[in-house]
Amino acid sequence: MSAPLLASHRRRRVGALAALLATLLVLASIVAIGIGSVSIAPGDVLGILGRAIFGPEFVPATPSGGAGATTIVLELRAPRILAALLVGAALAVAGAAFQSLLRNPLADPYVLGTSSGAALGAALAITLPFGGVAWELGGVQLAAFIGALLAVALVWWIAGVGSGDERIAGVLLVGYAVASLLAAALSVAMLASGANLRSIFAFLLGGLDGASWPRVLAAAAPILFATIALAARGRPLAAFLLGDEGALHLGIDVRRERGIAIALASLATAAAVALAGLVGFVGLVVPHLVRLAVGPDPRAVLPLSALGGALLLLLADSAARTVGLPVGVITALIGAPLLLTLLRRARAGYAL
Amino acid sequence: MSPHSDYELLGARGLRVELGGRRILDDVSLRIGAGERVAIVGPNGAGKTTLLRALSGAVPITAGDAILCTEPLRGLPRATIAKSIAVVGADLSLPFATRSDELVALGRLPYGSGRVGPTDDDRARAAAALNRVNASHLAARDVRTLSAGERQLVLIALGLAQETPILALDEPTVHLDLRHRIAIVDLLVDLSAHDERTIVAIFHELDLVRDAFPRAILVAEGRIVADGAPSEVLNAERVAAAWGIDVARARRLGAA
Repeated sequence: MSAPLLASHRRRRVGALAALLATLLVLASIVAIGIGSVSIAPGDVLGILGRAIFGPEFVPATPSGGAGATTIVLELRAPRILAALLVGAALAVAGAAFQSLLRNPLADPYVLGTSSGAALGAALAITLPFGGVAWELGGVQLAAFIGALLAVALVWWIAGVGSGDERIAGVLLVGYAVASLLAAALSVAMLASGANLRSIFAFLLGGLDGASWPRVLAAAAPILFATIALAARGRPLAAFLLGDEGALHLGIDVRRERGIAIALASLATAAAVALAGLVGFVGLVVPHLVRLAVGPDPRAVLPLSALGGALLLLLADSAARTVGLPVGVITALIGAPLLLTLLRRARAGYAL
Repeated sequence: MSPHSDYELLGARGLRVELGGRRILDDVSLRIGAGERVAIVGPNGAGKTTLLRALSGAVPITAGDAILCTEPLRGLPRATIAKSIAVVGADLSLPFATRSDELVALGRLPYGSGRVGPTDDDRARAAAALNRVNASHLAARDVRTLSAGERQLVLIALGLAQETPILALDEPTVHLDLRHRIAIVDLLVDLSAHDERTIVAIFHELDLVRDAFPRAILVAEGRIVADGAPSEVLNAERVAAAWGIDVARARRLGAA
């Protein structure tokens, strides 16, 4: 029964795995920036990035692609790659936090209605007059961000997260109910959207086509803050493995820590959704892959999930750019079989 | 009822607990000294678990006081409580595959523990705790695949890893067969005899209580009905009254 998956030295692997993922992230980013309709060699990518970051005097070599390559790398691809890294990290760390906090292996970043709230916010912004202008100025992203936060705030308020000694099942059920309600409103908005239906649909599929420097930088602040803050709160989240009562007996202020974790995970999710639409499966699958490698302790799972999520979404987005599909479709194509494989492993010892 | 010391580790003065407008405990007073081994008995719904939760700060106290290590519980920070009393639940369902030693290492969380997981010291203490309950062979097993008896041992090890003077257990023998019940009770006796742990445990098996505990507290309808040597506390009349069965039946089933 104690499967090889529960190998004895897995706890020692945390540092090694973090180093491996970080290295892969850097390499994959450089390669990914070079991929596209105009191919740019990794050496040139490094040169262009080096000149942009450290100035031309430190990296004198001229890239072979000339000014065009520089524009492509710095203005088109770098923000998109950065967006993929940020969104992947945010979704995976939020998913890991929700799974630990709610003690539910099927929880994902959208479990408290963030996705429905964001989708409704985006749909309204797209459908309302001057929708095209709103899109250009990032109004849709802002509306999605606000919609996601409002949805969580609604769940928070109804479930009474901040008060009383409520049970966590209540939060899940309220999240489900609020999400259903918002989904109904979204359907109405889509029916009424007419010619804008395609834009709303694109948001629902999830994609990084709209990633530009202003948008990426706007999303980067909340994502970096929430992701790092969450990754640093592994200790209280570890106690939640024992349930609310168990966490309490380990000296954790359950109400406070739950509130902080939900707020941070929701902030990360909302910012990620605003930037990339509804990208599925990253937040669900990555934490499970990490647990397979290092065990369930959130102190290891949260930071490793951030790295793993960033890597997975970068790879998925590179594939999406290559084949011309939205990244949300690619993550579903990769994520669903991964999840099924995990479920099959249940018989070998890793049960979801 | 002979505390090894007058040092009051755990106590209550006129304790009242109301949850959702319902009075669960009322006018509960007790003193438990260092090194004592106390069984809490009583019918379902009597308030036994709420008493343990109130004594460990897990439910708000409506009136009266709970005492932990001679101090009023109300003013104590959570972290201090967690270093004074470990509470072992009846059972635990885990959401993810978790090795026994990983679970037991969580008992070190009140002491800070490591940033990216348990420290070497945490692991050593977790291993020692597993060894103390004779469950070292379960260290690498997924807790979810253990039998009920094995899992209870691991949960007790989790409580031991917390390194508290008081170990409180909520029905540690529930769902266990006779052999495993005896193993648990012998372990508790050993822990109080050799490790100077103060043991407070909820039991339903009155025969086990009489066999292994010098003191029993009978709780019924939210109040302490009797407190003393099991032979006196668990006489047929009291058992019959508390559980709502007739005296002859109580006597046949082994009440004194």
